[in-house]
Amino acid sequence: MKDRQIPQERLDLLWILAYAAALLFILRLVNLQVLGGAHYREIAEKNRTQIIAQAAPRGRIFSADEVALVTSKPSFSLIYFPGQAKTGPEIDRMARALAKPLGADYDELRRNIYKAASREKPVRLAENLPPKIMLALSELKALYPGVDVIVEARRYYPFGAYLSHLVGYIGRMDAREWDSRSRDKNYSMDSRLGKAGLEQMYEKELKGKDGGIYLEVDSRGKLNRVLESRKWIPGADIFLTIDSKAQSAAEEGLKKSISGKGAVVALDPRSGAVLAFASAPDYDPNMFVLSGSEKEGLSAGKILPEFNVALQGSYPPGSIFKIITSAAILESGRVSPDEKFYCPGYYDAGSRIFKCWQKKGHGQVSFIEGLAGSCDVYFYCAGQRAGALAIERFSRAFRLGQTSGIPLPGEKAGNVFGPSLRAARKSYWFIGDTLNQAIGQGETLMTPMQAAGLIASVANGGIFHRPYYVDRIVKSDGQLFYQGKSETLSRVQLKDSTWELIREGLHSVVLEGTGQAAKITGAEIYGKTGTAQNPQGKDHAWFVAYATVNNEPSRIAVAVLVEHGEHGASAAAPIAKAVIEAALRSELSSKNRPAAPVAPPQGPGLPQPASPGGII
Amino acid sequence: MIFTPQGGLKKNRIDWALFLSALLLLAVGTTAIFSSVAVLPAQARIIRVQLIAIPLGLLVFGAAWSLNYQIYQDQWKFVYGIILAILAGVLIFGVVDKGARSWYRLPFFSIQPSEFARVGLILVLANFLDKRIGKIRELPTVLGAFALCVPVFLLLIKQPDFSAILITFPVALIMLFAAGASVFHLSIIIGYAFISALFPILWSIITLTPELLDNALVNYFFHLSDSWFSASTFVAAAVLGAWLLWRLSVRLYANVSGVYFAGAALVLILGFFSGMLVKNQMKDYQQKRLEVFLSPETDPRGAGYNLLQARIAIGSGGILGRGVFSGTQSRLGFVPERHTDFILAVVGEELGFWGMLLVTGLYVLLMRRLMQGARLARDRFGYLVNCGVFGMFLVYFCINFGMLLGLAPVAGVPLPLLSYGGSNLVATLAALGIAESVYSRRYALV
Repeated sequence: MKDRQIPQERLDLLWILAYAAALLFILRLVNLQVLGGAHYREIAEKNRTQIIAQAAPRGRIFSADEVALVTSKPSFSLIYFPGQAKTGPEIDRMARALAKPLGADYDELRRNIYKAASREKPVRLAENLPPKIMLALSELKALYPGVDVIVEARRYYPFGAYLSHLVGYIGRMDAREWDSRSRDKNYSMDSRLGKAGLEQMYEKELKGKDGGIYLEVDSRGKLNRVLESRKWIPGADIFLTIDSKAQSAAEEGLKKSISGKGAVVALDPRSGAVLAFASAPDYDPNMFVLSGSEKEGLSAGKILPEFNVALQGSYPPGSIFKIITSAAILESGRVSPDEKFYCPGYYDAGSRIFKCWQKKGHGQVSFIEGLAGSCDVYFYCAGQRAGALAIERFSRAFRLGQTSGIPLPGEKAGNVFGPSLRAARKSYWFIGDTLNQAIGQGETLMTPMQAAGLIASVANGGIFHRPYYVDRIVKSDGQLFYQGKSETLSRVQLKDSTWELIREGLHSVVLEGTGQAAKITGAEIYGKTGTAQNPQGKDHAWFVAYATVNNEPSRIAVAVLVEHGEHGASAAAPIAKAVIEAALRSELSSKNRPAAPVAPPQGPGLPQPASPGGII
Repeated sequence: MIFTPQGGLKKNRIDWALFLSALLLLAVGTTAIFSSVAVLPAQARIIRVQLIAIPLGLLVFGAAWSLNYQIYQDQWKFVYGIILAILAGVLIFGVVDKGARSWYRLPFFSIQPSEFARVGLILVLANFLDKRIGKIRELPTVLGAFALCVPVFLLLIKQPDFSAILITFPVALIMLFAAGASVFHLSIIIGYAFISALFPILWSIITLTPELLDNALVNYFFHLSDSWFSASTFVAAAVLGAWLLWRLSVRLYANVSGVYFAGAALVLILGFFSGMLVKNQMKDYQQKRLEVFLSPETDPRGAGYNLLQARIAIGSGGILGRGVFSGTQSRLGFVPERHTDFILAVVGEELGFWGMLLVTGLYVLLMRRLMQGARLARDRFGYLVNCGVFGMFLVYFCINFGMLLGLAPVAGVPLPLLSYGGSNLVATLAALGIAESVYSRRYALV
């Protein structure tokens, strides 16, 4: 066959070409299928599955006495699943038919359906459907394939505006929140998440794991079959240290007060557990769930009173500051507790006259009488003796100028008023400043939370705990996930005799002094009233108190602030009394007459001499 | 020349390896087609056509095998005439599908004449090269071979059927190469084809991306083809450039013949004019098809999407595959053209790496046997015919595999024996039958 002159080497060359191509393809196949198989399999799975997420019920929130403060309840949502390629007029017709029973805007509904159809993604057309339109919808469901009603868990706050500043609320994600969660499989674009308070801080725990209906779709998004229906896992339940009765008493008290604005913080002095945490005005978190979007909720509920008075409101402490001044006086050693000062109703500081709130004067007052009667002149004289620096030092010791450390955002630290700050600002300290400082006026500022910490430290001998409100978090399978612990932040070191004297003074405030409105039979109440001068309007009313029963360590310390309440004795003390009674109801009922009811406060009109401009 | 075959005559009448590998590929392909069309609306028609095409193709295979292949050499004018007739006829009687007038509609099925034309052209070219083998190293022989192709190409462009040209041109090159043509001459042809294809492609790209026209040079170049006058400036520039380069090479004492420079200028000018001719003759819809061919992103979901889906399908098959009739990518329609050009994606997804290895191996075996048939052929015509069929498979194999694996650009080229397409299947089996005929008649006495 040589005569045919077949160019053998050319055939070989062609043959090598074929071999090389086959080899190259096989190498590429190894890369694609053997090495990348799992990766591509995953993409293929994602391609063909369409998920209708079903939001898991968020974890519930309970009070210490196991009252459910926040729960979830089933709610019905209308979803649209883009099925067979819909034509424009068909969508229009469907939107028109759906708009009537839903009471929704036709144009918006139509736009939503179009968007879903073009993106081939299921969309929620309406949420929280009321039962009465379900019948109409079930008819339409049969007429328009792709429209369906699904059950979801919806957040529900049974008490409405209750503990709202602590609980917070949930809402739709904004763009930034979505950015940080878009990779999280547990969130979809229309998921809700905690926006404030506990709902926000414990978002991860409360969220649970969303369930979903997994559908197989073809390339045009047409539904093929249901692959799997995955059950959701509910979020973890949070048990608070809040006592629901005490909390109710606090909220009702604030609501009934003159201005309706203020804050109540009750702590357990033994651990720092928060027993009541009320801040008025508050809001009903349900409104964010009921309405379609946060914006609508806001417009419906006017301005959201998100300002947390208990943590963010800074007020002059007024006479409750005299507790700190007392510590400074007694610890200084320059004033004997029995030493008497004469109070004529005013104090002459040389260049200026400083008044006592009791115009006619207290006469000769010792330390106990001074604290019980809240005699300003006693504290002018004794405070001056102790010195402004000592008072400043003790304000710091009692954690003024520092946040309480409660794990909530936005807490204010109040303000310390004293000569060293003035010096730092290259300014002068005058004698009048010392006088103002001694009675809690001037530049001293305090939040209700700090006031509660102050009175709790008096009750427990100077210990400042970090206030905590989460007792435990229990996962849906019953596993304990987190246990709240008491944590000591600092301790004020005072002589035992000083503590005794301060406590004695506070006791006589309630027994015979300005705080008689807080008297409770069966319990010993130690309290202090305060009236903070307010240049913008009526004075703010303060009352701080703690209670002991049977000489056991105190179980409750409470601070009440009523904005523009004028007098601590009349506005704030009754609220504190109600809170203490509610918190100690079991002890009181067993000790006293059978079933001492949570007595309504005696009303604002108490026999307390009111002196405009004075300080109680 | 009389030989005594070693293994007995009858036993070697048929190349079983070739035949069985083709049958196996056909079986794999048919399974994949049935699996992939399961949810298509045209499912019944596709299955019917495939079930008609397989026996028809086997019948044609048998007929071509039993017929002495030398008859095509005797009757080459007749073969050539039929090619031109069916290609011209389709332009008059054919129906338009997907923008191309390339189908004869018959009561039960349609026929795509270009599929048969490409087999016929192999026979015609083989005859021509056999006759001119003494002058194979001369340029006129090479040009003559392409002169035979040109009418066919022009008729194909009219349809337009770019993929048929894409296949046939390299096949002709491979046949010339196998016949022993000068590599230099072949490269001239390649250069010419490259330039004449380059100009319409460049102009189409400029049309697709008008912002390129902001560049003055691009703008000038774009308008060169508008009139014969401006085109002549290009000719002058090419001639001048070639002359200057030649003078420079003389100055540098580079011993290069001036013929090369003249040739280069001529190729450039001829390429430019044929490109210009093609561009000016092209109808709007033809232009559109070329644009889609060049820039598949104009497809609403993008060819990038199609290719990606095909790659996902192949990759998701893994080593063992997802099982026959269980590929989600292909059955749910994510892979486009899954029963035709992208059939490999279905095979890859459902049969996995082993399935792909099997298909690749069968193709290599098939090509190996075709080449063996060429080596053993009784005469030069048979040798060239087998080389042509081999070349055809090689080109299909490279382009289709390369496209699916992302190693070559997207082109609407099917994979013979696997892809759906009645005409393609019958024509391919006919070509294999002719190759079998060459093999079985390798001994002179038969």
